[in-house]
Amino acid sequence: MAGAHAASTDPDALSWYEATARQRVVALADPGSFQEFLPPTERRMSPHLPLFDLPRAFDDGIVVGRAALDGKPVLVAAQEGRFMGGAFGEIHGAKLVGLLRAALTLKPAAVLILFDTGGVRLQEANAGETAIAETMRAIVDVRAAGIPVIGLIGGRAGCYGGGGLIAGTCSRLAVSEGGRISVSGPEVIETNKGAEEFDSRDRALVWRTMGGKHRRLIGGADAFCTDSVSAFREAALDLIGRAPAFDLATLEAEQARLESRIARFGDCRDATEIWARLGVNDSEAVPAMDTRAFDETVSRVREADHDAR
Amino acid sequence: MTQWRGEREARDARIAAGRAHADGKVVPADAVVDLLEAVLRPGDRVCLEGDNQKQADCLARGLAACDPGKVHDLHMVQSGIVLPEHLDVFETGIAKRLDYSYSGPQGARIAKMLYGGQIQLGAVHTYLELFARYFVDLTPNVALIAGVSADRDGNLYTGPNTEDTPTVVEATAFKNGVVIAQVNQIVDTVPRVDIPGDRIDFVVEADTPFYVEPLFTRDPAAMTETQILIAMMAIKGIYSEYGIRRLNHGIGFGTAAIELLLPTYGEKLGLKGQICTHWALNPHPTLIPAIESGWVQQVHCFGSEVGMDRYIRARPDIFFTGADGSLRSNRAFCQTAGLYACDMFIGATLQIDLMGHSSTITQSRVAGFGGAPNMGSDPHGRRHPSDPWMKAGREGQIVGDPALMRGRKLVVQLVETFGEKLVPTFVEKLDALELAKKIGLELAPVMIYADDVTHIVTEEGIANLLLCRDADEREQAIRGVAGYTDVGRGRDRAKVEELRARGVIRRPEDLGIEPLDADRALLAAKSIKDLVHWSGGLYEPPAKFRNW
Repeated sequence: MAGAHAASTDPDALSWYEATARQRVVALADPGSFQEFLPPTERRMSPHLPLFDLPRAFDDGIVVGRAALDGKPVLVAAQEGRFMGGAFGEIHGAKLVGLLRAALTLKPAAVLILFDTGGVRLQEANAGETAIAETMRAIVDVRAAGIPVIGLIGGRAGCYGGGGLIAGTCSRLAVSEGGRISVSGPEVIETNKGAEEFDSRDRALVWRTMGGKHRRLIGGADAFCTDSVSAFREAALDLIGRAPAFDLATLEAEQARLESRIARFGDCRDATEIWARLGVNDSEAVPAMDTRAFDETVSRVREADHDAR
Repeated sequence: MTQWRGEREARDARIAAGRAHADGKVVPADAVVDLLEAVLRPGDRVCLEGDNQKQADCLARGLAACDPGKVHDLHMVQSGIVLPEHLDVFETGIAKRLDYSYSGPQGARIAKMLYGGQIQLGAVHTYLELFARYFVDLTPNVALIAGVSADRDGNLYTGPNTEDTPTVVEATAFKNGVVIAQVNQIVDTVPRVDIPGDRIDFVVEADTPFYVEPLFTRDPAAMTETQILIAMMAIKGIYSEYGIRRLNHGIGFGTAAIELLLPTYGEKLGLKGQICTHWALNPHPTLIPAIESGWVQQVHCFGSEVGMDRYIRARPDIFFTGADGSLRSNRAFCQTAGLYACDMFIGATLQIDLMGHSSTITQSRVAGFGGAPNMGSDPHGRRHPSDPWMKAGREGQIVGDPALMRGRKLVVQLVETFGEKLVPTFVEKLDALELAKKIGLELAPVMIYADDVTHIVTEEGIANLLLCRDADEREQAIRGVAGYTDVGRGRDRAKVEELRARGVIRRPEDLGIEPLDADRALLAAKSIKDLVHWSGGLYEPPAKFRNW
């Protein structure tokens, strides 16, 4: 495991953004509690990539297993953004779907999904798309069984494409400043709509539109963390404790929340306009705020917290 | 009768013609084309200020819009071919002949136009060479330059990107030429006078501020563990061993990684104060942690860097600044400093051959040279000794009276064995040779000649070419660090091991470096945001480098 040798494994010091999937899982869980299913030694690799003369990963870019979080049993899946941008392929998706289905029998306190993905792997797009649909279906079943599914987003690849759709079906999401959540990526939007509509090289624009702070302010994410593993652990514990029930009332509340959001902000040209309408005094200052100042800002925004999802 | 004042009279006539479109010296932006058509004569030598960073873009658009019936066959003499307009003028016949230094972003198009015969090429120069020729046989008749502001008398404030301007103006204004400056605004009083008004004939208030490219910003988030390993080897095996205090860095990720390792890895090795104290360098954002940790005593700059202005203003003990507080850069002086006052140049390249010649030319691009061949050459005019220079000199020579030995500048190439898209860096034959043949260049565009290179550092190790005693040793030393490229696999194993035993080749383990220690955790800053924090909020990165 490159990097583990010198990198800090202290959860307070370990940057979520910098860490590998395996480093995140190990440092997130109670010490020594993580047990991996289908580890790299099992060699469950993509059957498709060799057709394209592309290198494979022994774990197909996702780490799944069981662990304890503050003594409670949880199931964990972590995507490896450094392998093909954390994209969903057939094996990658099957490992995630299998883990979610196992939750129905194992009845953990929660399932944690550590997203770090650009979406579906183009080289195995059909299998990847299928995996996205199966994952969403499995999450619905798990949530219906009363088990919260918590998404943690703060990796380099963000949470895009099908990953963004799956995140939308989770009970609760935690995000850091570097984390991004969206469906179409910046380059895709620019390619289809032109640089005047969305300049993908203007990274400040990208983060204002898709980044962690924006998602938290509009209630798309339910917790905002500093970029450390311990902050994500704390957020996960907190969100498990306050996950909404999965019933008709919750879904209707979510529908109402999204409808009012589009009605209120649909004509905004930039995220700063949305923040201003949300009541943020100095919306231009949001990107540069540190976590404490941002938390205070969030606490004054009514829409950031809700019972829906 | 001998005519002694012909040039001067021609200049007076040009200025008189230009005055028709000016109010005093001031010309509105919408009159640029009229002004240029009045001042320029067919066949003129023209410097259209295209520097490494700042661009006289308003004047470039104006020149490209001139009537080729009136303005044609110009001979362009400028260091940078950067904007599309710099080449558009050759397509319309406004310009015919070209002498330049650097064409980074236009490298592919310039190759095509050279091949198609649309440009008559004089030569591709280094910066200092072209500047030198401004004063000998390429003196401009008209210079079109860029600054931040000017007063109505023409006193010009260039802003932190002074770059080539003083050199261009010196050559033009004092040899009967006409100088036209575009500025972002006309003011009552300029913050400081970079060019006195009596050297500026016309001032154009541009429609938009001049363009500056952030060329020297390297995002720490994109740095790889391989680059970190190479940087560790360079610090321990070269900087420390030779005690390099005065130096210039290239613009690649490898040297940026070195800058970010100084406060961490360098500190651990106890090298603070021993290395990297005096620099000829643009204000690299990645140098901020080393500056803030007290490693750096002073930095002289070729140009500035977008977003660094406030930081530089707050650190006048480190940077050269004017009475107004802002950076004063100067490409000609900084290039001279890099040539004569630095003991090491270290940079990257795209191709290295078996002798050690290197080039950044690929088959379809003529990127030009810029400053690297000057920085990366051993100046035979140097006479002052220094410890690193003398040590390198001793390593390179084995016979003769020590009092008659000259030292050597260290010229280090820092490369990964495979570049982007897994293209091998080490090759049997440079693409530059093929390109020279194709477009009819007399000299192949070699960035750094083999006899100037002293060390090559890759992830496989350091090759010290000073210690090689013949061409075969040199070839095997290069093959010995060329990794799994064809060149690397073609090595003579026994010879390479012999060179390693002699210390000509050194592996990470020979230097006491554990490759698994090469971790991003060693970087003093892991992101652009970390750099902002290091600067106390003074560094203001451009939007394309932000992720917040």
